[in-house]
Amino acid sequence: MGRFSSIRVLLCFAVPPRCKGTVVAMSTSPPPRYRNNAWREHPLWNWVGLVPFFLFIFLFLIIPSLNLFTGAFVTNKGFFTLENLSVFRNPLVLKAYMTSLQVSLLTAVIGGLFGFFVAAAITLGHPPRWMRSLIMTFSGLAANFGGVPLAFAFIATLGRTGFVTALLKEVCFPGPDGTQICPFNPYDHGFSLYSLTGLVLAYTYFQFPLMVLTITPALEGMRKEWREAAANLGASTWQYWRDIALPVLTPSILGASILLFGNAFGAYATAQALTGGSIPLVTIFVGQQIRGDVLGNPHEGYAMAMGMVVVMAITIVAYSMLQRQASRWMKV
Amino acid sequence: MKAQQINWWAIFWIVLAALYFLLPMYGTLDFSLRMERNTISLKAYEIVFADPRFWRGFQYSTLMALITIVVSIILFVPTVYWMYLKVPQARPIMEIITILPFVIPTIVYVFGLIRTFSRPPFQLTLHAFTTDMLIVAGYVVISMPFMFRAIDVGMRALDVRTLTEAAQSLGSNWFQVLVYVIVPNLRVAILSGALISFATVMGELILASFLVRPALAPYMALLGLTKAYEPAALAIISYALTWFSLGLLQIVSQGGTTRQLTGR
Amino acid sequence: MTHLELSHIRKAFGAAVVVEDFNLAVNQGEFISFLGPSGCGKTTTLRMIAGFELPTAGTITIDGNDLTNTPPNKRNVGMVFQSYALFPNMTVAHNVGYGLKITSKSKAEIMQRVHEMLALIQMEEFAQRYPFQLSGGQQQRVALARALAIRPQLLLLDEPLSALDAKIRLELRHEIRRIQRQLGITTIYVTHDQEEALSLSDRIVVMSKGKIEQVGTPTEIYNAPATEFVARFVGHINLLPVTVLNPTDGVISLGRQTLRAGRFGKLNGRPVQLAVRPEEINLGAKPDTNTLSGEVESVTYLGSIVRIGLRIEHHPLSLDVFNEHTLKLPRIGETHTIHFPVNACWLIEKSD
Repeated sequence: MGRFSSIRVLLCFAVPPRCKGTVVAMSTSPPPRYRNNAWREHPLWNWVGLVPFFLFIFLFLIIPSLNLFTGAFVTNKGFFTLENLSVFRNPLVLKAYMTSLQVSLLTAVIGGLFGFFVAAAITLGHPPRWMRSLIMTFSGLAANFGGVPLAFAFIATLGRTGFVTALLKEVCFPGPDGTQICPFNPYDHGFSLYSLTGLVLAYTYFQFPLMVLTITPALEGMRKEWREAAANLGASTWQYWRDIALPVLTPSILGASILLFGNAFGAYATAQALTGGSIPLVTIFVGQQIRGDVLGNPHEGYAMAMGMVVVMAITIVAYSMLQRQASRWMKV
Repeated sequence: MKAQQINWWAIFWIVLAALYFLLPMYGTLDFSLRMERNTISLKAYEIVFADPRFWRGFQYSTLMALITIVVSIILFVPTVYWMYLKVPQARPIMEIITILPFVIPTIVYVFGLIRTFSRPPFQLTLHAFTTDMLIVAGYVVISMPFMFRAIDVGMRALDVRTLTEAAQSLGSNWFQVLVYVIVPNLRVAILSGALISFATVMGELILASFLVRPALAPYMALLGLTKAYEPAALAIISYALTWFSLGLLQIVSQGGTTRQLTGR
Repeated sequence: MTHLELSHIRKAFGAAVVVEDFNLAVNQGEFISFLGPSGCGKTTTLRMIAGFELPTAGTITIDGNDLTNTPPNKRNVGMVFQSYALFPNMTVAHNVGYGLKITSKSKAEIMQRVHEMLALIQMEEFAQRYPFQLSGGQQQRVALARALAIRPQLLLLDEPLSALDAKIRLELRHEIRRIQRQLGITTIYVTHDQEEALSLSDRIVVMSKGKIEQVGTPTEIYNAPATEFVARFVGHINLLPVTVLNPTDGVISLGRQTLRAGRFGKLNGRPVQLAVRPEEINLGAKPDTNTLSGEVESVTYLGSIVRIGLRIEHHPLSLDVFNEHTLKLPRIGETHTIHFPVNACWLIEKSD
């Protein structure tokens, strides 16, 4: 049995027919030929197998990302400039960033809290097992169910002629002045699916299941003995949650929050399909910028896109600082 | 072993969650059946299924999804295998790279991708075929966090080094180890990664829409602008698609789940 | 003086009865072990004392106060878990001080007590470490200190050493006993390891299938097991089916060979067995002892002793000899005579 040359392994993946002969040759020829090749022992040699992956990543992830950065700092003629950053003085652009941040934070908090309670209910609440499997299955589904169809589903449910809207029209609600409002049309009372509220409602559909999926393992990791040990030392349920459960869960909650925030911040399709671009989100702006230059200077689009990366980067840096503080007690 | 006592607080949240899941689903289903006044009909579905653009989009997206999965497997399985066997210290950097598409908003990534490959020296957007190549590359990147993680988790459960050494001691070379030992043991992991990738690609709007290729999601978005009932039918169809691929995933990855669902 | 009293405790989970009619009075400062195989109800009983499980019937009193329905956080009972159960987010000092913090003691008082407890377990220099930075043995010592810091009326230990390496286990066993003696605290120790129970306890409660089989000092449990279960569970024992020839002076027969049993209680006419520990049996013949002969089947070298297996009248029997350098070991297949004193063997009724 011979030690197979790494290069040949790579060739095998690229050009399978070439393998056959090599394999046969390898298994019959004696191996000691390779023994003296000291360069083969060089640590860098170990990385050779990762070259195709890194090549792909370089070409289709690194270069496009770098392009954004360079694009944000050059003129149409290709000279260095900071001019493009003036896009951030444009009140429309600033508004878009604020709206995006608002939606992301709001849905991360609402979805996060809701998801946390649901996850706690299915782990610590010890419901019948089928309920738990059902919620986990649905969460897996709903967390992956975004985009255009989600918008359609919400339009069909809470839109002007939607199913729930129609149901609400059948019932009466007590108005603020004590009189009954019949029929109750939510659209007569400030509600609109095609607004920020609607967007938050729709995003929550995939946000809270994502929270359930990410936080359930952490809740499952909560050991029964911690609770018992705390009770044994005289702690009440509330003291147990304050002193042990929440601190232990904090790193996971932080991690999940950043996931939720990023998930909402980058969402495009749902907002586009739901509101037709009428709510100014950064993603919608960037989308319009790809379609055709709406800002007058194509490089301002680069700057806007780069701004989103910067927001994510800042979020992640803040996250990792908090995380380091919160997980001092954890094995690395 | 504990005496079963029902926790009403838990039931409350579970019911609330179930309502949030089911109401839009039911609402959409109901809406999609009401195209003809005062009667339940499948008219909306008939129209969708009679539309050649739907089939075109479906075909195109399915094909792209399958190609994406094949490329992902060919690219990631040997990479992860090699990482486990030879350069475990590469793991942190690999993890950062593979999580990047999750961190960078897709629209930003697509913006960078299109601006990079729509002009020399790497112009790929001139022909349909090269554009499709670009789209596949983009899909591979976008679904990388799922695919890589699935393979990584699967590989972690295997004792790669011992398996490799055992197979080598029986006369296999590395290629044979990979194909006959590692991959069969990774079947579940690869399949789960593939199914998530499939669901992702089938629902992906941004890439195909901005590269103007006939995928499913852009077709839906277009339909949503002009029609009322057909989009609801389409939403149900994609629910079913997502159900199908992720339901399959649940069965594959947990084995016992289906039994639990019906067992009590 | 009775400190802890359990009377007529019964615990059922649905249809499964886990503990049945458990009665025990524990004296102040006593070290009691619950010994039995897994699933015998010993941990459930301990958890009922701690308050984590509610007895289906019966009462638990400490110093005459009925605690049966008191919630666990109001019982002032210290507990040490098999899995240490240290709070991972707190340092050693905070873990040990947590129970005092709950009772709103002053900072200075907490600090002083924590120092005291860490000195007791000889881990003062680890005060600022987190649990993940400690070995299993160290974690369990901290858990012990944490349980003791609140000055509990009772210390409960639930298989505290099972998760540790053999060497650490031995060390910690001595440490637990030293600390318990030093503080004079009433202690209940749950274990499935008979050696631990024998070496630590003032008294042992042997349990099987939710019931008490025997309560007694280690000597009583080992030398005079009341039932076949206790005899088999504690230590190694030979049980040979015999026929009673004369119930008044204990003459019995094993196949064609006649013997005398030293002790025999009331016999109810059920099949009986002769019980004898391997270490009581010697090679060779000696007058005024029970003498038997049989074929050597195995010779197992165990270090300080050598265990020899014989077949006597179709029944296996093992005996232990000390591994002295003059020892001449029998060979497999040889026929040997063995003897053991009359008062080193006794009769036990066969259980169903």
